Amino acid sequence: MPREQNIRLNVNGRVYERTVPVRLSLADFLRDHLHLTGTHLGCEHGVCGACTISMNGRSARSCLTLAVQADGAEIVTIEGLRAADGSRHPLQQAFLENFGLQCGYCTPGMLITAIELLRENPQPSEQDVREALSGNICRCTGYQAIVDSVLAVARDTQGSKKREIV
Amino acid sequence: MSDARFVNQKAVGSPVLPDEAIPLVEGDGRFLNDIRLPGMYHVAFLRSQHAHALIRSVDTAKARELTGVVMVLTGKELLGKVEPFRSMPNRFSGGESVQHWLAFDKVRFCGEAVCAVVAEDRATAEDAAELIEVDYEPLPVVTDPRLGGQDGAALVHDTCPNNYLIKREYERGNVDEAFRNAHLVVKRKFKIGRKQALCLESRGCVAGYRESTFGLTMWISHQLPYVVRHYLANHLHLPENDIRVVVPHTGGGFGQKASIYPEEFVCAYLALNLRRAVKWVEDRLENMVASTHARDQSIEVAVAVDRDGRILALSSDVCVDVGAYSTYLWSAGMEPLQTAGLMPGPYKVPAMRYRTCGVATNKTPVGPYRAVGRPSASASLELLLDEVARRLDLDPVELRARNLIPIEAMPYRNANNLVHDNVNYLPCLKLAATKAQYDRLRAEQRERGANGKLRGIGIACYAELTGLGTSTAVGPGTLLQPGRDAVTLRLETTGVLSIAAALPSQGQRIMTAMRQVACDELGIALDDITCVNNDTAMAPYGFGTFASRTAVFGSGAVIQAAKELRRRMLALGAHLLNVPVGELTIVNSVLQTIDRAKTLPIREMAEKSYFSAKNIPPELNPGFEVTSFYDPKFGSFAGGTHIAVVDVDAHTGEVSIVRYVAAEDVGTIINPAVVEGQIIGGIAQGIGEALLEELVYDETGQPRTVTLADYLVPSALEVPRIELHHANTSSAALGGFKGCGEGSIIGALGAVACAVADALSRRGGDIHDFPATPERVLKGLGVLPSDA
Repeated sequence: MPREQNIRLNVNGRVYERTVPVRLSLADFLRDHLHLTGTHLGCEHGVCGACTISMNGRSARSCLTLAVQADGAEIVTIEGLRAADGSRHPLQQAFLENFGLQCGYCTPGMLITAIELLRENPQPSEQDVREALSGNICRCTGYQAIVDSVLAVARDTQGSKKREIV
Repeated sequence: MSDARFVNQKAVGSPVLPDEAIPLVEGDGRFLNDIRLPGMYHVAFLRSQHAHALIRSVDTAKARELTGVVMVLTGKELLGKVEPFRSMPNRFSGGESVQHWLAFDKVRFCGEAVCAVVAEDRATAEDAAELIEVDYEPLPVVTDPRLGGQDGAALVHDTCPNNYLIKREYERGNVDEAFRNAHLVVKRKFKIGRKQALCLESRGCVAGYRESTFGLTMWISHQLPYVVRHYLANHLHLPENDIRVVVPHTGGGFGQKASIYPEEFVCAYLALNLRRAVKWVEDRLENMVASTHARDQSIEVAVAVDRDGRILALSSDVCVDVGAYSTYLWSAGMEPLQTAGLMPGPYKVPAMRYRTCGVATNKTPVGPYRAVGRPSASASLELLLDEVARRLDLDPVELRARNLIPIEAMPYRNANNLVHDNVNYLPCLKLAATKAQYDRLRAEQRERGANGKLRGIGIACYAELTGLGTSTAVGPGTLLQPGRDAVTLRLETTGVLSIAAALPSQGQRIMTAMRQVACDELGIALDDITCVNNDTAMAPYGFGTFASRTAVFGSGAVIQAAKELRRRMLALGAHLLNVPVGELTIVNSVLQTIDRAKTLPIREMAEKSYFSAKNIPPELNPGFEVTSFYDPKFGSFAGGTHIAVVDVDAHTGEVSIVRYVAAEDVGTIINPAVVEGQIIGGIAQGIGEALLEELVYDETGQPRTVTLADYLVPSALEVPRIELHHANTSSAALGGFKGCGEGSIIGALGAVACAVADALSRRGGDIHDFPATPERVLKGLGVLPSDA
């Protein structure tokens, strides 16, 4: 097996082509090779969810995904959530306004996971939100403010159907 | 944006949105692992796989030959060059422990660092570490503190007889007489497992070297930057003013990042010797064995009460498995001394006695973790009080009401010699019971019981000593008496205000709190105030963030410094506007006369002060930078009552929390949304302590819980919606503030533990060992055979 391989992928709307070691994780590729350090590593064995990114429209653990597996993929990280005009994603704004973070280490994974939930289920119940976030560990907030942030966006989306979730 | 909703209000007391959180929601945070310096090397540690063994030899030849490896450092090579960690002297020390940065003759726990490998990248460093051959000779292992303390047991340290790192006996009041004359005496055992703070970001550092000022710069994920600097200087024989310590965004601390550890110090040594920056970031497997553990206690407690259930005396015996070394700088006394000493909590205890010990074992050292000692002290007493209530046929709420220290009796000196100054213990109990509709909860419990379902209700009242000044020890018995921290306020040339303090935040929004306080004290708009709290090169001296102290110290020092800065601003403003000082005030960054006839923006005043000084009498222009040290002298008690309702599945042993109500007195609140976040976050950790979290070792000292798949922390599904209420009083500290970072974890362990025991008692069961895992619950119900 070759030690290195060429990959081409789209990250946050930009196309990258790189030669990478085959053992390199997608998380390390994003952080160390593309300098997208918004994605965090909490456990490196797929449990804590901090490293969750969106890959071809589905949430994925970037610590358990190899960079070479992302060849040809479309990736969205926390750095890609802002609108073209630079404004925050509604969920980012809701996290800020509802104090949905303390240390902020789990936030990137929470955002990506919750956005996937809201796309599939725009009007989730509190229990739906808790289920969807149950694979993402937060050690600071006790989850309440995070759950409230997600529910706030769901309420707003209901109010004005215009607001798009990624 | 941050202050738009509060223009005409006081900033203190308002849920000001924290600007400091913006980079974190936008993916622009800068955590330790995000730092990359040119030419930076990476470090990996080879760790012991034995719990206790002699090191016969270390062969690093193969590792050194690997392409990309820069250096392999062994413990022997450090001997004589750096000072090892000698356990802090403690009045109650049993014996001494010496921890070498890299073990050279003996390893004492699985995970202890043996070699450091420096390479061009981390993967290569880890590859090389696997090529190091260490010849170990296994030694007898100490894993059970009760056996380890017996004569003839294997010794973890030759300098520590019977493995006692800490031992203390205490008595106040006539305990024997109280027990003799008591209407009822009840005894109970309580065990709590080993815990992990489990910061989502593990430890790490970048040690940078340059040949000029600040030869050593340490970026470190830590709670106490100045303390790190002091010990780096001492142990590396460096001048302290040549070291700069910077704390980047920090992904959780909870006490685990308040100790001094070998790995970061090895990195500093490597950077100085290689004249190159090096980086080490702890991975999760390392974190589970190399960062301090917590709790791990066996407690026996007895209470003597009169016929009305009033406590006459308390007697306890506490044994803590403190691991292989006395945690550096706090000592092994943290858990043993505080658990026993703080046992009375918020209750009137006229007489008390305790014996407590910390026994060295071949496990990871135990260090500070949120609310050190108090959760187990509180839970063991609360479980005992429930038993007293059952025996006296009293309601648990009524029994607690009879024993809580009433505010009319304050200041009240308890048998543990601590003074309760001003705290709403009883109103919190009443508020929680009312809001929870306690009587209805009991009725529902009976109804469910009639239908064969197990429901339990737990009530816990807690006290938490916060914001400790110089007169009260944070680390009992140690030489360490922090209690004075400084803040510098500087009015910049454009009239904006900079606050500098060495009080790092791990999410507590300390910067926002200090900005809110400064805004009110100075009349400077919130948006004109920034804060730096993480850099010894920029901030005045401070001990850092721990022990529910930071908001109290930071805010108090801001209030003190602001008083002087405001005096200077008003004096110069009065001169420039040609009005008497007494007629001047500052509103929204503008100096104005009370009738608003004359105004002068602070910006103009500042510009004139710095750039047109020749027109100003020097005595009116002393500079607009004020540093003030604040010492609240004593601590302030915060307190509260938590009520938890749980359902227990008698077939599976599963416990689920169906309702959770808390009422708290945490002093004057600076930012209610931040405070509620602290409290709810603490409750979640307490739920983890009570139901899920436990680090397990086997009898050979091998850790069995080294991943997050083994060590379970609460997810969004295990933490219910918390109903939070306040009955606050002001403390004697400046601003009336109390700390709120730790108290809630105390109430949570007690309330959930009592609720589980209450549920089991409906079927004649009981539980003494926590966390209340399904297995232990089923044993408690007699469904599974018990250990005893």
